[in-house]
Amino acid sequence: MRALRLLAVVARKELTDGLRDRRSLVTLIFSVVLTPVLLGVLLTTTAGSQRGAEALTLPVVGREHAPDLVRWLGQQTGVTVVAGPADPEKAVLDRTEDLVLIIEPDFTERMRRAQTAEVTLVSESSRERARPKIARVRALIGGYAGQLGSLRLIARGVAPAIASPIRLQEVEVSSSQARLAALLSFLPLLLVIAGLVGGTQIAIDSTAGERERGSLEPLLLNPVPRWIIAAGKWLAASALACTAVVFSMVITVTVLRRIPWHDLGIRFRVSDAELFSLLLLLLPLAALLTAVVLFASTFARSFKEAQGYMGMLMLVPMLPGMLATVYPLSRRPWLAPVPILGQYALASDVLGGQPPGATGFLVAGAVALACALGLVALTARALSREAVVFGR
Amino acid sequence: MIAIEGLQKRFGDVQAVRSVHLRATDGTVTGLLGPNGAGKTTTLRMLSGLMRPDAGSIVVDGADVVADPVGAQRVMGQLPDSRGLYPRLTAREHIEYFAGLHGLDRATTRDRTTRLLARLGLEGLADRRVAGFSQGERTKVALARALVHAPRNVILDEPTNGLDVMSTRAVREVIRGLRDEGCCVVFSSHIMQEVSALCDRIVVIASGTVVAEGTADDLRAKAGRDNLEDAFVSLVGLDAEASA
Repeated sequence: MRALRLLAVVARKELTDGLRDRRSLVTLIFSVVLTPVLLGVLLTTTAGSQRGAEALTLPVVGREHAPDLVRWLGQQTGVTVVAGPADPEKAVLDRTEDLVLIIEPDFTERMRRAQTAEVTLVSESSRERARPKIARVRALIGGYAGQLGSLRLIARGVAPAIASPIRLQEVEVSSSQARLAALLSFLPLLLVIAGLVGGTQIAIDSTAGERERGSLEPLLLNPVPRWIIAAGKWLAASALACTAVVFSMVITVTVLRRIPWHDLGIRFRVSDAELFSLLLLLLPLAALLTAVVLFASTFARSFKEAQGYMGMLMLVPMLPGMLATVYPLSRRPWLAPVPILGQYALASDVLGGQPPGATGFLVAGAVALACALGLVALTARALSREAVVFGR
Repeated sequence: MIAIEGLQKRFGDVQAVRSVHLRATDGTVTGLLGPNGAGKTTTLRMLSGLMRPDAGSIVVDGADVVADPVGAQRVMGQLPDSRGLYPRLTAREHIEYFAGLHGLDRATTRDRTTRLLARLGLEGLADRRVAGFSQGERTKVALARALVHAPRNVILDEPTNGLDVMSTRAVREVIRGLRDEGCCVVFSSHIMQEVSALCDRIVVIASGTVVAEGTADDLRAKAGRDNLEDAFVSLVGLDAEASA
């Protein structure tokens, strides 16, 4: 009881002190806004380019030579046929058009005689933007030709199957949920970084900063066990880290709901409840990373020195996070007890639409918190070392 | 009541404290006098419970500092060598924080804080952040937070270091007041006037060893000098060095 009261005294003082620090407030706000902004930009640009490929404005030279073809093209989804430029090759080279379709004057005549009619596609395939359009036009013309060919065979009493011995059937195995998971695999990493950034300032200020100011020695003269002092500082820093994660999460979910999933060809089926279940994974992780920062900063004599360590500490959540975006960790529930890696693995299952059971959440959370408490105990021990207490 | 026996501490090759014994009784001011580097701060750090002595015992009001530092810290109020404050907290918040760490209840905290602020002449500054405080004001805040739990034993490491005349007087007033209340006050200093003006008993320390102790008169008699400063110089062996 007395211990809890002392713990509250330490934590409250560190929070009051930390929240008055303009630097820590700015980093907190920055960390909260970072994730939704990054993710929003990433997803809307993807959606934009997808939409660009689907809507095809096709300049055609000689539309009058093949009214049937032009009408058929115009009926295909997303395709708008417009008049082609006078000099197609120049227009493509000038980049005023990505591609131009040219219909020869004898098109209808050849069609009527059941000969092969020619259309020409002028394009520059080295242009990234043009490539999906070229593929689309190829597929459209191929499709139209296939239909006409079949009709010709039927008219001659031949089954169209004879002329097409092999038909390629494409089956896209990756579900839209999986594609979404690939896009969203950044989310846990971004949120964890938000937490790390949000809690770091106060973690450093209450350890390395305390040493730098010379306020550690007077603090330790009070009849309070070291573990209470270490735990109080950890609680205060973790509170800010978790606040950063929660706010970041709320804003991110709001952003996700406004993203044009339809244009991405994805049904976004992860419910808000499932998204918020990520917090159960990420909050203990944020508390653990804060404990890492707290412990490391205790050995720094000054704020600056501690910030120097931060570059390295950032790698602790970054590397497994990066790994998770490149090498999929999904469907590996046995990773749950591994701190950091386990959280990413479970998070990618949640985002992939296959939420793991409660056991995974519990195990991952318990292990993370146990590690955090271990680090707090180590911090408490560091605070008893004469080199730390008096070394300035 | 503070009793130190046979205290020793070594840092690498340096024997910072060789042999320190000290007995400070309640209702007296005991001065720890010595030149820079004599081992005063190291002695006080061991007394505070933050530094483990290599040998020797320290007992404060019956509590063994080495075995039970937290228990001993309850009955001690200390102004250590480093007296850093939190720039974003107000003077009042500093005092209330330490009151909280001593487990004082709200009413007692408010009452003691108000009285300490008044006693040190900090009322006007009580609710200002300490970031802009002068050296003297900082020391007063550090002193106030060290006294908030009304300790029976008060240990001050060079309390008037770097203070102007008015602040020095205020601190001296506080020290006298504590003695009159029956506290056991130990303070270290290298300033002769300070020690002679305040102390009931003086312990002279040089090269980590207690070389003399007693009242100012005792010391003058022991050194065979009329002037306390001369006595001090003679006792710590500086005159031998100077003439050598």
